[in-house]
Amino acid sequence: MSSMRGLVQFIADLRNARARELEEKRINKELANIRQKFKDGGLNGYHKKKYVCKLLYIYILGWDVDFGHLEAVSLISASKYSEKQIGYLAVTLFLNENHDLLHLVVNSIKKDLMDNNELFNCLALHAIANVGGREMGEALNTDVHRLLISPTSKSFVKKKAALTLLRLYRKYPGIVQETWAERIISLMDDSDIGVCLSVTSLVLALVQDNPELYKGCYVKAAFRLKKVVVDDDYTQDYLYYKIPCPWLQVKLLRLLQYYPPSDDGNVQNMIRETLQKTIDLSSDMPKNTQQNNAQNAILFEAINLAIHIGTETGIMVQIIVRLGRFIQSRETNVRYLGLEAMAHLAAKSDSLEPIKKHQNTIIASLRDRDISVKRKALDLLYSMCDSTNAGVIVGELLKYLPNADYAIREEMVLKIAILTEKYATEYQWYVDNSLRLISMAGEHVSDEVWQRVIQITTNNEELQVYAAQTILGLVKGPQCHETLVKIGGYLLGEFGHLIADNPGCSPIEQFMALQSKFNGCSSATRAIILSAFVKFVNLFPEIKPQLVQVFEIYSHTLDSELQQRACEYLALVSMPTDDLLRTVCDEMPPFPERTSALLSRLHQKAAATSDKRTWVIGGKDANLDSANFDLKLNTSLKRSFTNSNGTPLTANGSSSALVADLAGLQINGSGLSTTTPALKPTNLASAEHLSPDWQIGFNRLLIRNEGVLYEDVQIQIGLRSEFRGPKGIVILYFTNKSSYAYGSFTTTINNPSRNDLSYTTQNIPDPNIEPDSQVQQMMIFEAVNVFTEPPTMRVSYLAGALQAVTLQLPVTLHKFMEPAELSADDFFKRWKQIGGAPREAQRVFGLQGTGRKIDAAKTRRVVEGFRWGVLDNVDANSKNWVGASVLHTLQGGKFGCLLRLEPNFETSMYRLTIRATDENVPPVIAKSMEERLAQGFFPQEVINGR
Amino acid sequence: MINAVLVFNNTGQPRLTKFYSQIDVNLQQRLISEIFTLVANRPASACNFLPLPPLLQKTSSEALSDTDQPTRIIYRHYATLYFIIIADDLESELGLLDLIQVFVECLDRIFENVCELDLIFNFETLHQVLAEMIQGGGVVEVDRATIVESVRKAAKVTKRPQASLPDSATRSASPSGRSTPTHMAHRGSGVTGIGSNDFVWSGR
Repeated sequence: MSSMRGLVQFIADLRNARARELEEKRINKELANIRQKFKDGGLNGYHKKKYVCKLLYIYILGWDVDFGHLEAVSLISASKYSEKQIGYLAVTLFLNENHDLLHLVVNSIKKDLMDNNELFNCLALHAIANVGGREMGEALNTDVHRLLISPTSKSFVKKKAALTLLRLYRKYPGIVQETWAERIISLMDDSDIGVCLSVTSLVLALVQDNPELYKGCYVKAAFRLKKVVVDDDYTQDYLYYKIPCPWLQVKLLRLLQYYPPSDDGNVQNMIRETLQKTIDLSSDMPKNTQQNNAQNAILFEAINLAIHIGTETGIMVQIIVRLGRFIQSRETNVRYLGLEAMAHLAAKSDSLEPIKKHQNTIIASLRDRDISVKRKALDLLYSMCDSTNAGVIVGELLKYLPNADYAIREEMVLKIAILTEKYATEYQWYVDNSLRLISMAGEHVSDEVWQRVIQITTNNEELQVYAAQTILGLVKGPQCHETLVKIGGYLLGEFGHLIADNPGCSPIEQFMALQSKFNGCSSATRAIILSAFVKFVNLFPEIKPQLVQVFEIYSHTLDSELQQRACEYLALVSMPTDDLLRTVCDEMPPFPERTSALLSRLHQKAAATSDKRTWVIGGKDANLDSANFDLKLNTSLKRSFTNSNGTPLTANGSSSALVADLAGLQINGSGLSTTTPALKPTNLASAEHLSPDWQIGFNRLLIRNEGVLYEDVQIQIGLRSEFRGPKGIVILYFTNKSSYAYGSFTTTINNPSRNDLSYTTQNIPDPNIEPDSQVQQMMIFEAVNVFTEPPTMRVSYLAGALQAVTLQLPVTLHKFMEPAELSADDFFKRWKQIGGAPREAQRVFGLQGTGRKIDAAKTRRVVEGFRWGVLDNVDANSKNWVGASVLHTLQGGKFGCLLRLEPNFETSMYRLTIRATDENVPPVIAKSMEERLAQGFFPQEVINGR
Repeated sequence: MINAVLVFNNTGQPRLTKFYSQIDVNLQQRLISEIFTLVANRPASACNFLPLPPLLQKTSSEALSDTDQPTRIIYRHYATLYFIIIADDLESELGLLDLIQVFVECLDRIFENVCELDLIFNFETLHQVLAEMIQGGGVVEVDRATIVESVRKAAKVTKRPQASLPDSATRSASPSGRSTPTHMAHRGSGVTGIGSNDFVWSGR
């Protein structure tokens, strides 16, 4: 740009301008000049660029540039890169997503997206990522997606496309189509670190809204992490101060926190290994600041993941030791993050004991020099509070409150109020601390806090006397904060009569106390006091003259609200009978149970800032799942030390403002609130998406233990299996038949019988398969109980485009049977014992297709393939087959199964009867046998005939 | 996500302002001065993470759409310049601190001993480096070599049309320049000639 002399001169002029007025003068002169040039028109590209650069510079200095935008954006359709680049810079700086000029540039941007020049693609992507909104997204999302997935896209285009898509998704989620999910996840295997990083960022956002659809990313993330951390599988240029790609590690560790811990033992192991290695690596603190930073960034994220998973006691012990050291670190950043991680631990952990060991250090952190650290200490103290240490923590917080920074006082007050209420076991403690809090915090007390005190007192009879007594004492004091006067007004009005016989608490003294504060208070407080006075009329007729006098004075006040109250109250007390007065001033009913306004307020604060977090500040109870979360906020108004009896509800105008405020509160939720997707996401690995021709291999392997499960021109999938008792080992062999390498090879198992059939994968196949080479995957299945649906598997890989097949695995119930030998007598005895329905399934069926016949020898092979011990010479009719078998399951135990198969060779029909000791078994076996037998033809012929 | 990247000098003059969330221009200026007062008074040993300034806390609900809610400031101070990142909870604090370091190191490689003046006279390159690292609030690349390479590649393309310009256009600004092979290098040395308040990054 320095080749533009005019611009360089201009910048130099501005730098030489020593005073702001001189700068302004120079800028105005230039603006006038540029305005004129644009008006005259006929500028060539170079000059246009020069003037736009000047405008941009003026804009960057913080001056408003309100013209020339059109000229600026018109540069993006220039053919010269330098002009185009400035044009795009102007678009990203001058325009925003609602700017009218955007309509004009959409077509130019589209053209650049489709251009063969990758640099143009990048400029366009960058512009979209800066200014794209829903409209632009809908116009351009397919182009962006194409750049992301196209095998011809360069890495530097792909990574920008990924983040552009992320931006568009944030603006309008509908922009990312569901069918893209698998393809996007597959990009996490990209060998380019930048692509992997960008795609992971994109996936991180996507999983938050739709974890089910993107769950394939979990294994990928775990696998990639392990490769980098444990296997040291990275190239040298990924190293940042000796740490392999810390950014990617942090993102992957974060991604894993969005899913519940995996139930696959193999994946668990990978993660455990990774975490352990990370912790080991960080045991010595490097001297270099950058390296130290990067290492800690990873470590803290790893700690968060470990806390999230939570089960690894070994790792947790190490982590707690480490955190204990961190919070005393000399480095401020480390103290800060250590406290934050501990708050996370307190939020998730079952036991607070390990944290309590550090209680003194944490309390000391409240007095840290640094406000950021203080905040974290406050969060942690709030989270780690339980009934045993509440006294100490609340005491310390109260002690610290007067010296606390203004910025955190309100939050402190809220938190103290919540803790005081939550862990109050003695009413005196609750009242003392609440009132002390309010008198100390003064201005920083939000309305919810003092209103809550009133609610609690009203709903708990044991509190009332003590509370009324205490508040009266405070109101009498010379320096009483207005908030206390509000509470005093309400409490004395309601419960003043309970203490009227105590020394110093006579009606007239109560009246004088409130009256003395009257003039110093705001209108709202005066209204509360007036209401208290009308209640006094009812409670203490002996001071009625004084009260009436107050009403009379205030019926002439200029404040219309107070005047109206005074007039109404005056009318009320001047009535011939006091029936109405008594009804109106009846004792307030207990407040209905509802969410603590305090928690709502705290969480409203949090909800605004920390949505999408995986945990919230607070103890474990605040972090149960999101469904329970709202309920949990509903801490009862009634404390454990209470049993108040309900009185009938009467409308009472005296505290209208208060009641309305409370009723209007609602929780909008927790940091955990999730948008539930309206539609169930498509699961491509499920049986609904089976690929054509899946049956051929499946049928073949139904009655064998090894063979080819699937084959096409690109891939062959072979299978070997062995079943023993309720256990089965299945090994799949995937062979690349093409002459080029496949990337992002992924297998996803879908197990519809999750409760009855369990599996663990023993390894994750390598995502890259070279030509003519093979990867394998081993799985162990266990029949827990009788299951109906066999698992399915999605196999996907990148061969240019994404290729995928979904297959049913031949892991069916009968695989877990073992043939049995029975004598004829035994067979019939058991046959009769079991009896007919419901423990019998019978099917009569013919062969499908024409010209197929029943073949005795082959039928026998099928029967044996279905794991029956064929019993010869048992059935009277020698053509029939009878068989016996034992089905093994882990929880259900063993089931005896009996078979009778009667062929009719003339009509090509079978009659199949199966009996078993459990009624769930026969239909499942009968169904799969019928499907198999009805084909008539047998494996070899099927293959040959293909 | 990253909501904004700001660079200003020790007197609070902005050298780079890049917002990834929509913020009104006036608010931007106020925000910069507010953040400046916030960080300028902090000692070097203080924590590099800060809660949001009041301006963003209060008005943020109107100023930003819900999804773009930032939660904190991460900053780093180098000699005469402050580098600020405003981000939300999803980003790792230390990671962002590293990101600033990567940014500075990249600038340093491109400008060869970068100084504040480089950033002033080459603001479009500054934006370009940032664009190679952060896009739409997400981190696109952290490998310094790759970033520098991409910026240089783009610069070569830029240079091509400029080669046809009269040579004298640059000469007055950078007397020592023209003979150096790459565009970037010549600019660095040219600027040294103009400015005297050069400095060396403390980060190295």
